[in-house]
Amino acid sequence: MSTTTAPPAPERPLPTPTRESRPYWDGLREHRLMLQHCAACGKVRHYPRPVCPHCFSMESAFKEAPLGGKVHAWTVCHHPFDFFFKQATPYIVALVDMDAGVRINAPLRNVAEGDLEIGRRLRLAFEPVGKDITLPYFVADQGG
Amino acid sequence: MTHPLRDKAAVSGIGETAYTRGTSKSALALQLEASLAAIADAGLSPRDIDGVVPYFPGGGIAEDFIANLGLPDLTLSAFVPMGGATCVAALQMAAMAVATGVCKNVLIAVGRTGYSGARVSTRLQQFPQFALAAEFEAPIGMFAPAQLYAQGARRHMELYGTTPRHFAEVAVTMRRHAILNGNVVMNKPLSVEEHHASRMISDPFRLFDCSLESDGGAAVIVSAADTARSLKQPLVTIMGVAEGHPESPASIAQRPDLLEFGLVKAAARAFPMAGVGPKDMDVAEIYDCFTFTVLRQLEILGFCKTGEGGPFVMDGRIGLGGELPINTHGGLLSQGHVVGLNHVIELVRQLRGAAGKAQIEDAEMGLVTGYGDMGDGSLAIMRRAA
Ligand SMILES: [Zn+2]
Repeated sequence: MSTTTAPPAPERPLPTPTRESRPYWDGLREHRLMLQHCAACGKVRHYPRPVCPHCFSMESAFKEAPLGGKVHAWTVCHHPFDFFFKQATPYIVALVDMDAGVRINAPLRNVAEGDLEIGRRLRLAFEPVGKDITLPYFVADQGG
Repeated sequence: MTHPLRDKAAVSGIGETAYTRGTSKSALALQLEASLAAIADAGLSPRDIDGVVPYFPGGGIAEDFIANLGLPDLTLSAFVPMGGATCVAALQMAAMAVATGVCKNVLIAVGRTGYSGARVSTRLQQFPQFALAAEFEAPIGMFAPAQLYAQGARRHMELYGTTPRHFAEVAVTMRRHAILNGNVVMNKPLSVEEHHASRMISDPFRLFDCSLESDGGAAVIVSAADTARSLKQPLVTIMGVAEGHPESPASIAQRPDLLEFGLVKAAARAFPMAGVGPKDMDVAEIYDCFTFTVLRQLEILGFCKTGEGGPFVMDGRIGLGGELPINTHGGLLSQGHVVGLNHVIELVRQLRGAAGKAQIEDAEMGLVTGYGDMGDGSLAIMRRAA
């Protein structure tokens, strides 16, 4: 029996959903991408916020959006900055122009960096990381 | 029509602490030490300071300055919470204060324990302006400016053919300048090969593409130009100064164009206010949080076209004796990271003719930029007055 105590595993930084963003996080938990649309002018916006910056309406509704998009930019993270991500390095984070008209930043899995280029199609996927929180990631879009 | 702020304010005093990695002093103590140096440089007494703009968050509020410097009658206290764009943007606020008579001498001070205190990885989540990044980006592994800016750098490389060699030229030139300056964190030569061999932080940024985590303090005094004329130092006036905020200011990821940021708007205001253009600059102090951000700012400022920032910095053009010497003190990449107030100090030093081994002959006019908080920008154009 060992008497040494392993140090506590570093905790993953988790989002704290707000009154504005709760529907987005609830959507991810249900494996759906829910984006905020202005109820007055119909424009989509992300990240969630109280007022439409186009027409200033405070009325909005979250609607399910398609999961495909195209690469806008990316980085390969070698230095973890947060200890939780040390095991995962190096990891790619892709910034994707979603077909729905917003941009989403998320880790990219199962695609080599050498295969990346601006405009390459990717698809959003879902990783439950806790009872309440599911985080997005990207994979290759087989349909594209 | 001449802008009402043009040449109405001057930087009358400059002060710095040692730039180090490791200090027992608090960020507040560093701010105050630099402040006393700047006040003495101007030939003023602490009692003459009636406006104060401390760095936030960075240990120091108006009450601290009143208590420590015995300020008898502070008429303006303010924060300018724009990250790395703070110091140059604070020049605008100070210029407005002295030009309108609200203040006579405004103290702008920064103190940072970026090495001994809170490190870059944890700072992001503490700032209210980064709440969105903390909610949406930190959980997916994007914490630090190095990661968030790296995506823009990658896009620039993909679109315009910008290369690591271009980045290296910035890093190596800043180091060469730092070595001429006695007060720096990094004082050993850096080669292009060493830059390319340094460890990857967030691709395309390697270690030597990133500014330093360091400890230090810096301060400047802004006085009305008429007041400054009768003070101790040669008169260096602020010809034009402005701040600018990008679309989607709290998240680079949501910005329609990752490569457009607040400096675009600041430049569109500061150059006309000064009545001069980029070609008139003898020296430029460019906020170098990363090598890449220097390239992109040169494009935005109009020294070259978008996409040409990489080739522009080559062939010794940004070194001493080059067409546009940049960061003649070593910058944030090699001197130390005090949120760019060291860039302001170096510009003033150059225009006073007091930059020592890095002095540019007959430097009469120059600019300094600030860049921070995910894309806020600021620009000041200064000249040595006759
Ligand atoms: Zn609307």
